[in-house]
Amino acid sequence: MMSVSSKVGSNNANKVMSLKDAVSKYAVDGSTICFGGFIGRDCVAVVHEIIRQGIKGLTVIDDSKTDIMDLLVGAGCIKRWEGAYLGYGAIGLAPNIRRAVEKGVPQPIEVEDWSNAAISMRYLAGALNIPFMATRSMLGSDILKYNKRIKVINDPYEGKPLALVPAVRPDVAFIHVQRADAMGNAQVWGFTGNDENKVRAAKHTVITCEEIVSPEEIRRNGNLTIIPFYCVDAVVQVPYGCHPQSCYGYYAYDVLFCGEYHKTSSTREGFLKWLDTYVFGCEDHNAYCNKVGWSRLQKLTYLERQFNRIHA
Amino acid sequence: MDGRNYTPAEMMAIMTCKEFKDWENVFVGIGIPLVAGILAKRFHAPHLSLVYESGSIGPEKMRVDFNVGDSSAADYALSLSSEWHVFGDLQCGFYDVGVLGAAQIDRYGNLNTTAIFGEGDYYKPKVRLPGSGGGNDIGSSVGRVVVMMKLERHRFVEKVDYLTTPGFLDGTPGARERAGLLGDGPSAVVTDKALFYFDSETREMYLDTIYPGVKIDDVKASVGWDLKISKDLKTAPFPTEAELNALRTADPANLIMGGARERDNLSGIDEYVKITLENAYRKEI
Repeated sequence: MMSVSSKVGSNNANKVMSLKDAVSKYAVDGSTICFGGFIGRDCVAVVHEIIRQGIKGLTVIDDSKTDIMDLLVGAGCIKRWEGAYLGYGAIGLAPNIRRAVEKGVPQPIEVEDWSNAAISMRYLAGALNIPFMATRSMLGSDILKYNKRIKVINDPYEGKPLALVPAVRPDVAFIHVQRADAMGNAQVWGFTGNDENKVRAAKHTVITCEEIVSPEEIRRNGNLTIIPFYCVDAVVQVPYGCHPQSCYGYYAYDVLFCGEYHKTSSTREGFLKWLDTYVFGCEDHNAYCNKVGWSRLQKLTYLERQFNRIHA
Repeated sequence: MDGRNYTPAEMMAIMTCKEFKDWENVFVGIGIPLVAGILAKRFHAPHLSLVYESGSIGPEKMRVDFNVGDSSAADYALSLSSEWHVFGDLQCGFYDVGVLGAAQIDRYGNLNTTAIFGEGDYYKPKVRLPGSGGGNDIGSSVGRVVVMMKLERHRFVEKVDYLTTPGFLDGTPGARERAGLLGDGPSAVVTDKALFYFDSETREMYLDTIYPGVKIDDVKASVGWDLKISKDLKTAPFPTEAELNALRTADPANLIMGGARERDNLSGIDEYVKITLENAYRKEI
């Protein structure tokens, strides 16, 4: 159980810092982390920085996180995955996940299977500061057979089977949003995944955002602030921080870039070359954007804005 | 007018779309299931509402998604919500039908999307697959499940290596209810060669409809158990030109239906943006 006073004291008017500093301060070796978004709004820039800094032994507890997990696993940063889905949707299976689980390359990872609703309930329990939550998922399946932390009980009120899942309290949540102020009030457009619960369950939260705006701008639409300042430790402006994934209202999914990654990473050598080009070969996220090409990124923005705009 | 020039994947999408009824709420996955949902909305089910586990409810589909978390999954949605709320709504019974794919299925419609390991070890699988995602949740609680997969012997197996998503479990009466599951379980299995339904008594999958040009023996040879065949076996009609046109407009670069190799046919991002915008489905909203 987390003591009620343990999060108090992180309030201040300016939590803005660099991506490099936020990652080195909060994503330390051996920590347990989660990421916001749901494939869209993935924290790709954060993950590139974690890899650049050579952070190891991470446990990730999350719902569906293919792109960033494939990079982290391939780069040898991951010790353990507790989650629901690691696949590229219509693009295919995840090459680095497959190599690690099937062949132990570059190193074996521990995998604990859950469903998306189970992970959602684990974060809800964390966000409510209670030790577990119940779900009607996973009953009768082999998820229960291999994952002994799921407890099936007959519920004390109606006597019917129910699955209990333990709360998650990760060390840090990284969440990419469209807009935040320097105090940490974060506004999200589009679907919100489990972000509101992840930031409450986590001991620390780092917000990366497309734009930093004034608190007055935030106050105009308080409904959009799914993450209030008191959950947040750091704010980092990282435009195009989800590329090649999408960010609602800002840029569309770069399916061709992602497809190229998938093809290149089908071999270990190809993946290492990719890392050299787009991660180690880029000093920071700005250098990554230069390499991808600003005109390409702007085309993705143009495409997205034919369909979705944020209305502030 | 019918169309005689189509791919098995296109036929699978068209047959799936017929499983949806107007005004239903359908929990879709990515890929061909989504294309089937889009298609249904343009024909017999204009009021079909799509729901995505990322939290998007009732989007107007003007372009295809490559995963359920694309920003496109939220295009003009009626409600943009959260993942845990959508799963709560699923348990509350708001969603009529879910569409799932799988690597393996057995005669009772139990699905494997986690790992292929045969008699071997789950921890050291031959092929690690994505995992449940929301598949188990949908299969546990949605009204009914439509399964979409290629009809192949290594997929239609006597026993799944790992039971990710429950169908009718061991097929005994009341098996789902005893386990604590809410939904009614699988209602149809749509493949690239034939359509299967489930017997209401035995809960066993049977061949209901065969597609034009497919032989019964081919279907039987692609199933790893002694397949039962409907006494009233039907043959599906050819897709219409209108259906095929709608399908091809919905996926204009053929990246979903055609798969990875189609990406190489695009000259680059400019062509991708151009094709997407030219074919964007816009109705007055």
